[in-house]
Amino acid sequence: MRSIVLQHMIDNKDHYIEQWRVSFGELLFSRSESTIKPQYIQDEMKEEFVSVIFDTLTMDRHSRRAVVKRFAERLIHDGWVVSEFIMSLQRLRRIVMKDLSNHYDKEKFVDLSGELEDWLDEQITDLTTEFAKNHEEVKAIQNVALKELSAPLIPVFDKIVVMPLIGTIDTKRASQIMENLLDGIIEHRAQVVLIDITGVPLVDTMVAHHIIRASEAVRLVGAECLLVGIRPEIAQTIVNLGIDLGNFTTKSTLKKGVEAALQMTHRDIITNEEPVTGGGLN
Amino acid sequence: MRIPILKLGRYLLISVQVELDDQTALQFQEDLLNKIHQEGSLGVVIDLTSVDMIDSFIAKVIGDVVEMSSLMGAKVVLTGIQPAVAITLIDMGVSLQEVQTALDLEQGLERLQQELGG
Repeated sequence: MRSIVLQHMIDNKDHYIEQWRVSFGELLFSRSESTIKPQYIQDEMKEEFVSVIFDTLTMDRHSRRAVVKRFAERLIHDGWVVSEFIMSLQRLRRIVMKDLSNHYDKEKFVDLSGELEDWLDEQITDLTTEFAKNHEEVKAIQNVALKELSAPLIPVFDKIVVMPLIGTIDTKRASQIMENLLDGIIEHRAQVVLIDITGVPLVDTMVAHHIIRASEAVRLVGAECLLVGIRPEIAQTIVNLGIDLGNFTTKSTLKKGVEAALQMTHRDIITNEEPVTGGGLN
Repeated sequence: MRIPILKLGRYLLISVQVELDDQTALQFQEDLLNKIHQEGSLGVVIDLTSVDMIDSFIAKVIGDVVEMSSLMGAKVVLTGIQPAVAITLIDMGVSLQEVQTALDLEQGLERLQQELGG
């Protein structure tokens, strides 16, 4: 069962394609992401787009969707911008509408335009759905990667571990940090944990709150927390915001932190008078 | 249900291996204080390795036990608090500020030894 509109479009296919192509010039591939592609690739894509859209006219709903899906996958893979294709489809709508209004009387036109809308909306929906789905997938993958990167724990000495934090800390990440921290302490039998915030761009009350909470939890499982890597501007913010880190041992650099941690575990770094032969430092 | 309290030299060792309900906790509080009095112990290690959950009441009892024990001259170290338990306690706003902690029984005993001067 094919509607009159689609039949009409198939009959006048060549005419519409011609008109549509003319309006392509100004519309399709005006974004910089697309214009950096070689001209012949842009031309190929235009042709393919035209043929995909007009091929779907004769297909049923199911295979139509499959074709659009495959086309969308190609677009995503090659890095095209979806909005340009949507805009082109809207332009096609305008062309066909105008033509329909010339051919049919008003009442008929209202019916027909409804059908046209349905068909075009379907294409647009399929195209955007495919793009949205792809974005979701990419986002999920990135989230996993981010999670893996967000709170690493590095054992540096016996009983001493370091957690370098880089980037903004939000609530979700804070709980991730807390978990990794506590599990790592148990796993490495650590007594001192150094939290390095050199890479944290901003320490506000929220971040400070998370760090304080983490250090209290660390104390409960039986280790101690040192906060290192306090940059001058961070020290200023902390004091200006009135955050109380009084119960905290803080050091300006990781190096000083490690020295303090060694002291807390009753150890020291000594320089040998004579070169060590065989084996390294103890 | 009573929690066994073991004596080791000048110290008392308690390994909590049952689910702590209110009654057990209160009973334990009483038993421990009696034992400290009886033995004249200087240090107590309470090991919580096998405890997966602590509610606010139990947390309060533990805090109280520590304070009461130190009034009686015995230092208390809590050991083996699991990460999940630690997070719950912090979430409830219980930080057991005054209580000494250690990673496990071994480090707990070491800690007591240090504090009591060998």
